Amino acid sequence: MSPAIELVNTLQTFLTASVRMAVPLVLAGLGETYSEKSGILNIGLEGIMLFGAFASFITAHLTNSIPLGLAAGMTAGCLIALLHAFMSITCRADQTVSGLSINFLVSGLTSYLFLMIFGKTTTLPVCPTVSEHAVPLLSKLPIIGPALFEQNGFVYFTMAAVLISWILFYRTEWGVILHAAGEHPQAADSAGLNVSAIRYGAAAVNGMLTGLAGSYLTLSLLGFFLENLTSGKGYIALAVVILGRRDPKGVLLAGLLIGAADALQFRIQASGSAIPSQVFIMFPYVITVAVLLFSIGRSSEPAALGKPFVRSRR
Amino acid sequence: MSKRSMVLMVLLVSAAAVVFAGGSKETAAPAEDAPLKVALILSGPANDQGWNAVALQGLTEAAEAYGIETAYSEHIGIADSEAAFNDYASQGYDLVIGHGFQYGEPAVRVGKRFPDTKFLAIEGASYSENTASYVIACEEAGYLMGRLAAAMSQTGRIGIVGGFEQPSIIKVVEAYRLGAKDYDPEIKVSSVYIGSFTDVALGKEAALAMADQGADVLSHIANQAGTGVIIAAQERGLLSTGDSWDQSVIAPEAVVCSTIYSVPALIMSAVEKVQNGTFEGGIFNLGMSSGVVDIAPYHEFSTRVPQDVQDSIEELKEQITSGDLKIPLIEKSSGQ
Repeated sequence: MSPAIELVNTLQTFLTASVRMAVPLVLAGLGETYSEKSGILNIGLEGIMLFGAFASFITAHLTNSIPLGLAAGMTAGCLIALLHAFMSITCRADQTVSGLSINFLVSGLTSYLFLMIFGKTTTLPVCPTVSEHAVPLLSKLPIIGPALFEQNGFVYFTMAAVLISWILFYRTEWGVILHAAGEHPQAADSAGLNVSAIRYGAAAVNGMLTGLAGSYLTLSLLGFFLENLTSGKGYIALAVVILGRRDPKGVLLAGLLIGAADALQFRIQASGSAIPSQVFIMFPYVITVAVLLFSIGRSSEPAALGKPFVRSRR
Repeated sequence: MSKRSMVLMVLLVSAAAVVFAGGSKETAAPAEDAPLKVALILSGPANDQGWNAVALQGLTEAAEAYGIETAYSEHIGIADSEAAFNDYASQGYDLVIGHGFQYGEPAVRVGKRFPDTKFLAIEGASYSENTASYVIACEEAGYLMGRLAAAMSQTGRIGIVGGFEQPSIIKVVEAYRLGAKDYDPEIKVSSVYIGSFTDVALGKEAALAMADQGADVLSHIANQAGTGVIIAAQERGLLSTGDSWDQSVIAPEAVVCSTIYSVPALIMSAVEKVQNGTFEGGIFNLGMSSGVVDIAPYHEFSTRVPQDVQDSIEELKEQITSGDLKIPLIEKSSGQ
């Protein structure tokens, strides 16, 4: 193999790996963007993702059907997000506390259910996984072709979701309504908008997208479920939202950046280097901190983020 | 009630608490005919189909064989480990086992407070009068896996995924490298540490990174995260080796062979020693000669692994068991 072809191959596999690792972060990050724009801070992404992963796995495992698995993952995610919405909107609970409690609840619940259903086995229960579909012509593009257009439906859906969300946020009336609920709920209320309904709606979208991020882990990446499978990806998705400044394009780039940082560190380690592995493991986090440092003062936080809306209070 | 009498009350109550707590420590010593109580502390879930699963299996077997009373805790991080040891010791357990390198130091610290209780850290590097570390000579099996992987590789490149870069993992990775190089000095051995024993997605991604660079045998020493490595090999149609137990069942078409660490045998021997009163502190190395380390059968690969390779592995295994071949213990990463 000539060095040029080898370089192109290395770049292609590196980009494909970056996209593979970015998908759950971007999907969940996009979901959280909806939620936060409406004024609901949901740090329970980890729990929602884990529950989506579990529901997808168990459904696909029992029925052998991927569409049912996807539906189950999105429904499960939606249910958990609505639970959080109920606690934060209707009960006006502290959103950070209810988000955290969801993470702990789901972590315990999925482990318990998994143990109940499969017991302590040594055989690994598996579920079917989605297959890849190459887009004609586009997948033949050098370097970026295989990474973007020789993937499975999750990747195409993620790209479409980023585009649709961007249009929705900045080019439609729905976007204005969503921003109004998060920026100035009192004004939105005076204008005749139902703030609670908007926030519930945004939470439901968040649940579906983050649940889908969980489905991606079981139905695309792994094909099996193990306890605490998400291993903190929900928390990284929260960093992606802040890094991407609650903008779909930004969330996509931030997700890709963190995915690429992980893909890169494995490749450097595997080629043999004298640098201690701990340095590489820190790599994605160091990049996050660095980008955050450079974007100080350009915060885009919705004014009413995390604050319960009380109609009678001005 | 005046302030002064309040202070007096508080003092009295705390004094009583100290006295009674001291008293309960006395009664914690085992009665002659009461069953032995053994507790196990695990770093991850007990059904991880790997490192922690075999430990619990050992505890269950010991319970059946000796009629002991048992308990276990899962997901005990380093920060909580001292409290976990403390809890079990103060509840009157006779033997508290921490299943992992990281539990060595906490066991010694808690051991000072409970001189009548025995502590054991599996893979630990610390000891005291009543605390022992049983170190499994995992490197013996790791060496054989390296040789086997090198023999099965077509591309001249193999890879191993490690959990954390800590001595108990590094020694296996380095023995694997050594075994591979002993078989074929030209072979390239990649190693990646992912910094997790549980993140299967990360384990799979690390394995795929090595596959992308041309490695065609992907091994692991990463507990639950290692399952991702096996799945990566299966997905790419490559070969893999398992770790801790016979992992062929996960992907019979990919897993050539597995290392086996018979943690049950280890736990049984510790329980037996406590029962006989012969348990003592120190660091003990247990390997193939004690029946604690072994390699699994080839299953589907019994016809695909060349006979001369199988014979040489068998011969080396006998040499290690008899003590004629000593696998060096390397606990510092070479990073090559």
